[in-house]
Amino acid sequence: MKNFLLQLFFLLFVNNALLCMEKNDQELKIFKNLRCLICQGQSVADSNSDFAQTIKLVVKDKLKDGKSENEIYDFLVSKYGEWIVYKPQMNKTNFILWASPYLILISGLILFFYLMRKRHK
Amino acid sequence: MLSNIGNLLIFFTVVTSLLVIFKSSKLILSSANSISKNIYQLSILQSTFSIMSFVVLVIGFVISDFSLITVFQNSHTTKPLIYKISGTWGNHEGSLLLWINVLTIFSYLFLVFSKKFNNEFRLGTIITQNFLLLGFLAFLLFNSNPFSYIFPVPLEGLGLNPILQDPALAIHPPLLYVGFVGSSIYFSAAISSLFTNFGGKQFALSIKPWVIISWVFQTLGILVGSIWAYYELGWGGFWFWDPVENASLMPWFVMTALMHSLIVLEKRGTLYNWVVIMCLTTFTLTVTGTFLVRSGILNSVHTFANDPSRGLFILMFLSVMILFSIITFLKKFKLQNYLIETQSKETLILLNNWIMIFFLATILIGTVYPIFTEVLINSKISVGPPFYNTILIPVVIPILFLMAVAPRVGWIKAKFSISYYSLLVVLFALLINFLIQKAFKSYSWYSNLIIISSIFLIIYTLIDLFRGNFKKDLNNRLSRIISHLGFGLLIFFIGINHTLTIEKDFNLKVGETKNFLNYQIKFKSLDLEEKKNYKAVVGNFEILNKMKKKSEKLTPEIRIYDRPETITYEASIKSNISHDLYLTMSNIQRTEFYNIKFQEKPFMIWIWVSVILIALGGITKVFRNESNT
Repeated sequence: MKNFLLQLFFLLFVNNALLCMEKNDQELKIFKNLRCLICQGQSVADSNSDFAQTIKLVVKDKLKDGKSENEIYDFLVSKYGEWIVYKPQMNKTNFILWASPYLILISGLILFFYLMRKRHK
Repeated sequence: MLSNIGNLLIFFTVVTSLLVIFKSSKLILSSANSISKNIYQLSILQSTFSIMSFVVLVIGFVISDFSLITVFQNSHTTKPLIYKISGTWGNHEGSLLLWINVLTIFSYLFLVFSKKFNNEFRLGTIITQNFLLLGFLAFLLFNSNPFSYIFPVPLEGLGLNPILQDPALAIHPPLLYVGFVGSSIYFSAAISSLFTNFGGKQFALSIKPWVIISWVFQTLGILVGSIWAYYELGWGGFWFWDPVENASLMPWFVMTALMHSLIVLEKRGTLYNWVVIMCLTTFTLTVTGTFLVRSGILNSVHTFANDPSRGLFILMFLSVMILFSIITFLKKFKLQNYLIETQSKETLILLNNWIMIFFLATILIGTVYPIFTEVLINSKISVGPPFYNTILIPVVIPILFLMAVAPRVGWIKAKFSISYYSLLVVLFALLINFLIQKAFKSYSWYSNLIIISSIFLIIYTLIDLFRGNFKKDLNNRLSRIISHLGFGLLIFFIGINHTLTIEKDFNLKVGETKNFLNYQIKFKSLDLEEKKNYKAVVGNFEILNKMKKKSEKLTPEIRIYDRPETITYEASIKSNISHDLYLTMSNIQRTEFYNIKFQEKPFMIWIWVSVILIALGGITKVFRNESNT
């Protein structure tokens, strides 16, 4: 049974999932991850402004040069500051941001089960 | 003239509010056994005054009385009538007055519909409610008076932001406010219950309808807001994790959690303290949301109404509210003997609650974190969709399974076990997911997990519908089944929509054609149109699906409004049952090219329908409760 399920799992999930990412998808993903700095709360992908058009060209050029997604973010952050990326970078200052939701979730669950245990004894 | 009448009516509202507090306190102190007619009369008088003041403001907008600053700043004579009216709550001052209206009406309704409960508790609730009301009235009078006068009277108004001139935006704020302000009732009730020792099952029953009603309105309000964002903001998205959207979603999570733990309090008489904490939290979050939105402390696409002095006032109000709640709670806190078995429905509901709190905490942290980094270390960061998606989505999977399985588990003491039946449903879900991939295209393992778990919930809930004694106890489960089914469908369609959306961004000149995948997009011509309050450049596009041999005409617009002078980009959308075609265009300066964004979004309508189903579950519950009593 276990074996069968495992096989089924591989059949259903691991087909060509990883090949889905096309170039166009990557471009869009990056555009969506960048804030249009002269707009109010819009991403570069959503905005119609000149700024967004310029950034799109920059990103396209960088991709053509073979730069990776993270390298492009690093470049833009060094130029415009962290404000431009929607996904806050994992660093010392943002550690609390990334970790605290799960810390809350897990500590709550632990406390919950601890109290239950205690009551049972 | 209108200014005087309006101010006078507000003044009367304040006076009746003070009278209600005074009379009610006297009644409590004299420990009378009934609530005198006086209080009912005062309460209805209070609602009447505030409704009348609102009507006066609407009249001001309709007849374009520019002697009122609010009307001058947000209206214009050439605006269509419906937007003159909806303009009344399309601005900070007017919306605050609407807020106060809902507050007074809800207070009165609570008084009328709570007759079977303890009088002292009811009076306490009304008193607290009126203190809240006084707070908002003070805010209105000292900081944001919609009846402020301007002299000399301007001849013409400044006009309403064009993106707010929209039917969805006419009904979005009222829906949301009923949700927001509805939560004030159970805030007040919780405070009152702490003071009057009115707890347990009766307390649960007294606030249950209010929790459900506010939750239904909140759900619908969020839905209308998303639909509006979808077609008006030209993103093609419907949820952007924008601070303002987050502000409306945060109370929703607590309301949902509260709704579930109320069942425990009602059926098992336990979890009272937890329920009270959530009652207090919901309204606190509502006011927090208002603070974040109205103070302009956060950068948002919904840029109306921000002014730091407003922020300061709300912040003070909020601090008083939170401090008072905490002190009251700690002072009156009584350790309850909680009797919960590990393997029971109660445990699962608590688990649900904790996951809701996790969602809430994530959104709250994500929304306010940038404020702290900016103030403390002077670094401005953005917390956007990638953050929320990364953190939240993994936890959506267990909650989908929980939502399917938990309702079946018995109260008090049950035995958890994995039945073959559940495994069968899992296999069936896998199969459907497999067929979807065969029919369309395969997607990442992550999307697979989400879609499979949502199908699991859908099938499980559907089977539940036909289980057991169909007619007899269907009544008890119906609302839950509808809402849970709606949620399963929502996640399913969002998942499918997300993975199968076709999106293309390119530049075209008039007369050119773009080919990609199965599509051929032809930019046929440009028209100029002159409308009452704007000019429009309309693009005529023909979109040919080469596979289906079907062509559609779409006409996105660039609108130039004159009052106030604004350019908006209107998307052209063709909806049908299986997918939406979505097209926007914008001019690229100094060239004859236009930037075109094309999207084919599968099952878009079904996302809206799913949310309506979720709300429908709540609506059936309210009516069933009514008919039972």
